[in-house]
Amino acid sequence: MGKNKQIQYEPVDASPVKSFFVTMLTRDIRLEEAILDLLDNCVDGILRSKKRNGGKKPYEGFKAEIEFKKDSFMISDNCGGIPWSLHSYAFRMGRASDRPADTPGTVGVYGIGMKRALFKMGRDCLISTQNEEHRYDVEIKPEWIDDEKTWEIPVTAARRSMNEDGTTIVIGNLYPGIAARFSVDAKEFESELRRTVSTHYAFIIDKGFEVIINNKAVAPRPVSLIFATGDRKAKRIRPFIFKSRTDDGVDVFLAVGFTRPMPTEEEIATEQEEVRYSSIDAGWTVLCNDRAVLYCDRSELTGWGEAGVPRYHTQFIGISGIVEFRCDDASKLPTTTTKRGIDAASPLYLQIRNKMREGMGIFIDYTNKWKGRVEEAKKHIEGERAIPFDEVKAKAGKLSFRSTTRTVPKGDQYKPELPLPKKLEPRKRRISFVKDVEDVECVAEYLFDGRDADPSSVGERCFDLILKEARR
Amino acid sequence: MKHPPYHLRLNKAVDRLLLVDAIRRMDRLERLSDFTYYGLGGPYLDDFRLIYELFPEIKMVSIEEDEDTYKRQEFHLPCGTLRLERAQFKSFLARYEPNDEKSIFWLDYTGLGYGNFEDLMALLGKVSENSMVKITLRAEPRDFLDKQNETLGSGAESFRRQFGAVMPDSAATPPLGFRDFVCLLQDMVQVAAQKALPSAVPLMFQPVSSFYYSDVTGMFTLTGVVCRRDAAADIRKVFQDLHFRNLTWAKPTLINVPVLSTQERLHLQKFLPCPSSAGRTLHEALGYLIDKDKERTEARLKQYADFHRYYPYFMRAVP
Repeated sequence: MGKNKQIQYEPVDASPVKSFFVTMLTRDIRLEEAILDLLDNCVDGILRSKKRNGGKKPYEGFKAEIEFKKDSFMISDNCGGIPWSLHSYAFRMGRASDRPADTPGTVGVYGIGMKRALFKMGRDCLISTQNEEHRYDVEIKPEWIDDEKTWEIPVTAARRSMNEDGTTIVIGNLYPGIAARFSVDAKEFESELRRTVSTHYAFIIDKGFEVIINNKAVAPRPVSLIFATGDRKAKRIRPFIFKSRTDDGVDVFLAVGFTRPMPTEEEIATEQEEVRYSSIDAGWTVLCNDRAVLYCDRSELTGWGEAGVPRYHTQFIGISGIVEFRCDDASKLPTTTTKRGIDAASPLYLQIRNKMREGMGIFIDYTNKWKGRVEEAKKHIEGERAIPFDEVKAKAGKLSFRSTTRTVPKGDQYKPELPLPKKLEPRKRRISFVKDVEDVECVAEYLFDGRDADPSSVGERCFDLILKEARR
Repeated sequence: MKHPPYHLRLNKAVDRLLLVDAIRRMDRLERLSDFTYYGLGGPYLDDFRLIYELFPEIKMVSIEEDEDTYKRQEFHLPCGTLRLERAQFKSFLARYEPNDEKSIFWLDYTGLGYGNFEDLMALLGKVSENSMVKITLRAEPRDFLDKQNETLGSGAESFRRQFGAVMPDSAATPPLGFRDFVCLLQDMVQVAAQKALPSAVPLMFQPVSSFYYSDVTGMFTLTGVVCRRDAAADIRKVFQDLHFRNLTWAKPTLINVPVLSTQERLHLQKFLPCPSSAGRTLHEALGYLIDKDKERTEARLKQYADFHRYYPYFMRAVP
């Protein structure tokens, strides 16, 4: 090559490769989460629907039915269908910049959820939708997937009409791994899917939406918090609450408190030896426009184990918190593309996380103060009911909030005054010891005619008896 | 530690003999001398006694945590080849290294806790192919009754908190009926097995039989074989002639044999086996009721006809 000869560089090809969407992007998401993406589309459909109800049950009358078998997956809804006006956008890989603004409250941001879910499962897909006068089918075939050049998908008039506006997606030609989960692992997969839907969709199902998996409806498992009734000025167990509206229109409502009484020392000790609970309500649940993007998280992501907050431990099993982010423009919500995770770098979330820690600190402090006096502490919770998040929000209206204008984030907060233990008088000493359970039961039977007497009562009674004898 | 008289429990004794029947068929897969039987035999080591009697070639290891029970086991040692290990089952499992050795495990629990499912999942992930695993769990729905108001309110919540991860529907309320409850337990074992050995791994847990019974306390038990997925059909073939097989996770079979005297049993012997209307035939042979009414009597005698080959003889012995 001569010294003076100029090399001619040609532009490089940076066009997307179809296989990236079909085989790569699908690895970022679990199968259960991909199905939640399809459910998200159903709920977005309801929000666009004119039939949507007002009040406490905005999703009532709407449902999604999921059925999976060895060779197919189907999801069918009556949530309004895909409007023909969105056809140029709904099936594109990614969100086009000229897409019309979405209906307030929807969560679709990246234009990837539905397609990723379809490609995750199989190579044959039929989407049939009906929205007002439009009834059409979109069919994705293996040939289309394999053809790197063709990006257009044919649309035909629907072969079948539906009773109500809605969408039915049928996926066939399943990948072997997916077919195996729908057949060989069916029991486990259905259990996992139900669990995921019942927790992540708890708030939406509570608001009337019905999700049916293999002909059986999913019951919601919403997180509840103990909210003492009665005298609002008395020191009772109520949640810490913070609410705010950011300058760019994101509404935030945060509540953290107790979901159950403090654990006994025995419960804490047993838990270290073997896992007693396979699912617990402790930790943080984060909602974005009604969808839970995190459920009962107990990691640094939600403030545990940093900035003065201890790492999660069984002694905090009763502490649970919920943060709700709500915004008409879903792109302002602090979620990841999978919508099942938090964008930990989001400035909004980082600010709110400080408040999460602040609120959590109150209940951690309470737990520490009552340590070793659990039975006494339980009396403050006896008779009080844990209520779901919506009720917490409704009841919060009657509390006295204080504005926090000089701190970041700004907002209004309610800081509960929790009952504190009386300080032990200087003349008193605490005695605590651990004995073999058989021995404790044996003494309990001797003293109380029953082996299931409370261990601390057994210990106290032993002491009183010996004291009486010693004083003779 | 106080123990119920396990060795005198009729239905449990039947279940033990049914296991023997299943173990016998393992001979078609591997030489029985290649197996080691691991059990949580309790103070009397009945299962070990039986295994030694019928399959002396099988090596045996008993795992017991409690010191006094361990001492009682030493006292009751049925043979010199049984190795007694004093250990918590979890720590035993952590040390258990089968390599290629075939195992027969009986996780014979008396209670019901999430830890039992964790043990099962850990075990299924560790045993070598063609090993047999049997799990027995307490099946008493009343344990989850809210004592205060007799509803499944907070008791149901406690059940969900404990077992949500292996329940087929983690939001469901556990059923109150014995039969429905054992069906739920079987589903939970199936979910746990699929979690431990998902379709992505070449091994699977093939059920062989499942029973429920009550000798005062309700119990559920399921036996299966860990095998290669591509060999599952062969395994099913091995157990195809097992009388009370359950190769498809179908509903478990009830064991509810009646208490009969030796004299009665000897009298009924000549009518057995009884291909049809067993309950009625045996009732007619006896000529009197052995339960509240005709229907129950015939149901119990049908049970006897089904399980008579596994029915133990308890004799009065003069020391």
